[in-house]
Amino acid sequence: MSVKKKADLKVIILGDYDVGKTSLICRYINGKFQKQESTVGAAFFFKPWGPYNIAVWDTAGDERYSGLSHFYCRSAGAAILAFDLNIPKTFESLWARFGSILDAANEDCLKIVVGTKSDVLDESTRDVSAEEGRKLALELNPDLDQAYVEMAGAPYFETSALKDENVTEMFEYIFQRCLPLSPEQHNRFKGKKSTIDLLEDSTEGPNRKKCC
Amino acid sequence: MSVKAFELVPVIERVKLMSDKAKTQIECLDVCGKNVYIGTSDCFVVHYSIEERLQPNGRVTFAAEKQGHKYLVVKKPVVQLRAASALNRIMVLCDTTLTLLNMFDLEPIVTGAKVKNVVCFCINENPVRTNPFSVEICVALKRKSIQLYTVTEDRMMHLRDVTIPEQAVTVGVDGVTVCAALNSQYCMVNMDSSHITDLFPIDDNVQPIIKRISKEEFLLSGPSALGIFATSAGVSQRPPMQWSDGLTAVSFVHPYIVALNDEFITVHSILDQQQKQAIPFMSGVYIGDFDGRIFVASGREIYSLVPIPFEKQIQALLADKRVQEALDLAKNANKTGMSRDKFVKMFKRIQQQAAFIEFSEKNFDEAGQLFKESAIDVREIISLYPNYLPASVNFIRSVPPLHEIADINQLSRSDEAAREAFKAFLKEFLEDIRGTSLAYGYKLEVDVALLKLYAESWPDKLSELLSDDPGCDLGDCIVWLERHGRFHALGQLYQHHGESEKALAVWTRLMDSNVDDPSFPGLEFIVLFLASLTNHELLWKYVDWVLEKDEELGVKIFTERPANEPQSERLRPETVVDYLHRFPRAVITYLEYLIFQRRLEKEKYHTHLAVLYLEAVIKLMDTNGTKKEELDIARSKLRHMLQMSNLYRVQLILGKAKEKEMHAECAILYGKLEEHDKALRILVHKLKDFGAAENYCQVNSRGKDPAACKRLYHILLSVYLDPTYERRDTLVAPAMALLNNADAEFDNVKVLQLLPESWSVGLLAQFLTRAVRTSMHESRMTRIERMMARGENLQVKQTFIEMQRDCIVMGEDRACAVCNRAFNDPTFVRYPNGVITHVHCAKNKYICPVSGKLFSAGKR
Repeated sequence: MSVKKKADLKVIILGDYDVGKTSLICRYINGKFQKQESTVGAAFFFKPWGPYNIAVWDTAGDERYSGLSHFYCRSAGAAILAFDLNIPKTFESLWARFGSILDAANEDCLKIVVGTKSDVLDESTRDVSAEEGRKLALELNPDLDQAYVEMAGAPYFETSALKDENVTEMFEYIFQRCLPLSPEQHNRFKGKKSTIDLLEDSTEGPNRKKCC
Repeated sequence: MSVKAFELVPVIERVKLMSDKAKTQIECLDVCGKNVYIGTSDCFVVHYSIEERLQPNGRVTFAAEKQGHKYLVVKKPVVQLRAASALNRIMVLCDTTLTLLNMFDLEPIVTGAKVKNVVCFCINENPVRTNPFSVEICVALKRKSIQLYTVTEDRMMHLRDVTIPEQAVTVGVDGVTVCAALNSQYCMVNMDSSHITDLFPIDDNVQPIIKRISKEEFLLSGPSALGIFATSAGVSQRPPMQWSDGLTAVSFVHPYIVALNDEFITVHSILDQQQKQAIPFMSGVYIGDFDGRIFVASGREIYSLVPIPFEKQIQALLADKRVQEALDLAKNANKTGMSRDKFVKMFKRIQQQAAFIEFSEKNFDEAGQLFKESAIDVREIISLYPNYLPASVNFIRSVPPLHEIADINQLSRSDEAAREAFKAFLKEFLEDIRGTSLAYGYKLEVDVALLKLYAESWPDKLSELLSDDPGCDLGDCIVWLERHGRFHALGQLYQHHGESEKALAVWTRLMDSNVDDPSFPGLEFIVLFLASLTNHELLWKYVDWVLEKDEELGVKIFTERPANEPQSERLRPETVVDYLHRFPRAVITYLEYLIFQRRLEKEKYHTHLAVLYLEAVIKLMDTNGTKKEELDIARSKLRHMLQMSNLYRVQLILGKAKEKEMHAECAILYGKLEEHDKALRILVHKLKDFGAAENYCQVNSRGKDPAACKRLYHILLSVYLDPTYERRDTLVAPAMALLNNADAEFDNVKVLQLLPESWSVGLLAQFLTRAVRTSMHESRMTRIERMMARGENLQVKQTFIEMQRDCIVMGEDRACAVCNRAFNDPTFVRYPNGVITHVHCAKNKYICPVSGKLFSAGKR
């Protein structure tokens, strides 16, 4: 594992013990769900995204590592605040415990509120509504302008690492916001377009015509 | 966990101290070259010199000799001690005072170079100033501040200081950044800007440790026995490391972090943050790395941690089949100062060993990848498969061996599925590398192994291999192919080696016997092979055999010969035709080939073919119940031949055709004899095919002058209008059609004479109009032509006159432009541009001999 490469964006995930932070990251990085041991201190993953390298830091939720979380947050460009959709206390911790930790992160750090374990959520007995989550997400990101929220949605996701729901979408939201790809880069690195758009090509036409 | 990265070797077994009291203990030490300095708990500094020796068995031992000692009088332990060899000084911290001692006689330097109230100090290994005769140190003071000093032989010059919120317990320094452990937390202090960055809190039960591991990176001891990396900027770039509890000191030699606690020395790799080795070591008090060497001290003894050579560590990992770890370690070995070439060689060898381990574990993807990356000698792999190397190749596996595998039988332990898996791997690997640089020089080995594999399990691939320039020799391949019943492939192998006779023997045996080889394409294959065979003697041996089996296919031996084949006596058309007499269908095909394709113009062949066609037709006519289509086809073939060729003997055919009343054929034959009247009478009277009659005129007038053409049409018309023919009224309509046909040409005067008096003008109006118009048109065209010719004539005359008008005066002084001599004859040549020469000097009347100008004939 080479960690000497310079990361273009540091993403950190915070949240109470056993809300599923490591599972969420493993689902995104490795594409599978597996039982996780509790994280010791912190863990680290590298993810290339387009031309960029992204460092994803997984922290330990255990209270005794609180001091370290603060340290690992330093110079983070984005923070994922994870809570268990089924346990309201984990949602409360987000602003009670982790809000202050994020002071160490970059000033323009994007905060994403993420509810986990949506696969075992019972809608009828649900305590934390999606509306509350969205509200917290917007409160945490005061400089996110209204127009962007309307276009891309609020930085709030309800995910399931087990069923792979909303996990990739959530990470793409972060990267697209923090390291926007130009359309040209998007084509080159994402490369999912199988058809050729003739009209798009023709925009280059006038430049070429100047031959004789 | 079983990597043995280090070995513990005693250096100084029992430190001989000044006062031999039991409580005297080592507190700290420094090693500088051969000098070891020890600070004790009872205020002594002891100096040893050590000698490192490499024993013949590869072990390292140390011999130590005491050089001297010094009592520092204050009865307090020596807390820290560092040698500064550039200054010939040692820095000693004792009783909160930092002082300098002479490195050799240990006498104090009394120039006032000391700092008081010091908690701890450390040397800046990445100093801001680069004076080689000074050392930069960082000092933590009791009164909540940190200072930087430059130390010279006899002075300590204060550079800067920064006030910190609490007293520092221990410090590390790199450049202008000081990493300090305060009572409650770690922080990074920028000595330039005095900016303090808090890192993380220190638990009460953890001893703070700061170890600089590289430029701008420190390793700190964190809560819950974590080792945490932090850069000068206060962030972490590596995940933390799980350490043991109660660590007292840490040192680092790439890529290992060595940590000391009360019972163990533990070794972690910085590459994957995992623990690699644990060495039991009771009551350790100090560990340090000095110029890449690690020394560790207990209360009274000093040991060295001697690194086990990389290769040994790697071999140990490989022996445990821990391939990935071994490769990771090997990749990092180039950081140990090995030369590039040596490293590449070593790394490739390790990759190969790893590859064979993966291979024996049946991890074929990894094995194949490693084999390719390490550019393995492909024979090493093939030699694992019994009998797969060509018998002619004498290969000895590399020494020392890359693996302990005898062969795949040993690996598969007579498990058939496993054997097949190994074979499938070899097949895919060889196919993969075939033609790449890996197979370079081993084409024979690779192709023979592939041939044998294919013969055993993938017969359908044999033909592809054999047609693609295989490097297989004959040797044991023949036996192998025969044993597996791949006879067609055997034939192909012979063919590739130019052994056509043996190849044919194999194939004919395959045809004649009932041996089933599904890959054999059958007789056609043999025929095509014979068709391109250059050895004509051999060819004749098999022609009989083939023709007996299939005439029409067999004749292809002669008709499908390569275009650029040189003519040979044995394959002359006469010889072949003579030979083919026995095979009527073959001879027709062959003659057709000679006439229509090779366009041979020999009367004999043309007549022969025509007769054969005719015979075929007659035979069909004579047999009852012949289908009309069949007969039509045969006759049209004959007619085509008769029409197309001019070389056959017409009379011969005509006789037979007349006999059988084959009118259409007769018509063509009369045409060939220029007896158009007879031909046309047959067409009109017998066959009543007026279209064919007109077509006859058209065909026979092709390429002839207009008069002959007119004559032909006239003959046809006179046949139509023949007053002696009793049913001539039926021919009025075709006659009119002919007259009105735009293609037909007539001599109009003769037509008018021929036409019966009784025909009305109305009937003939169309023809007459056309005739008059044509006549008028011709007349006018002729006049135009005449006038144009006259005009041209005038123009030529004018030019001629213009050219002659200028007079040329010839005198004695006039010389030829070419030879420059005088003119003796009255004749001379004048070029249009005025150049005058002798007649014999004018070589070319179109090119001026002086200027080279070209005069074209028509240009005026």
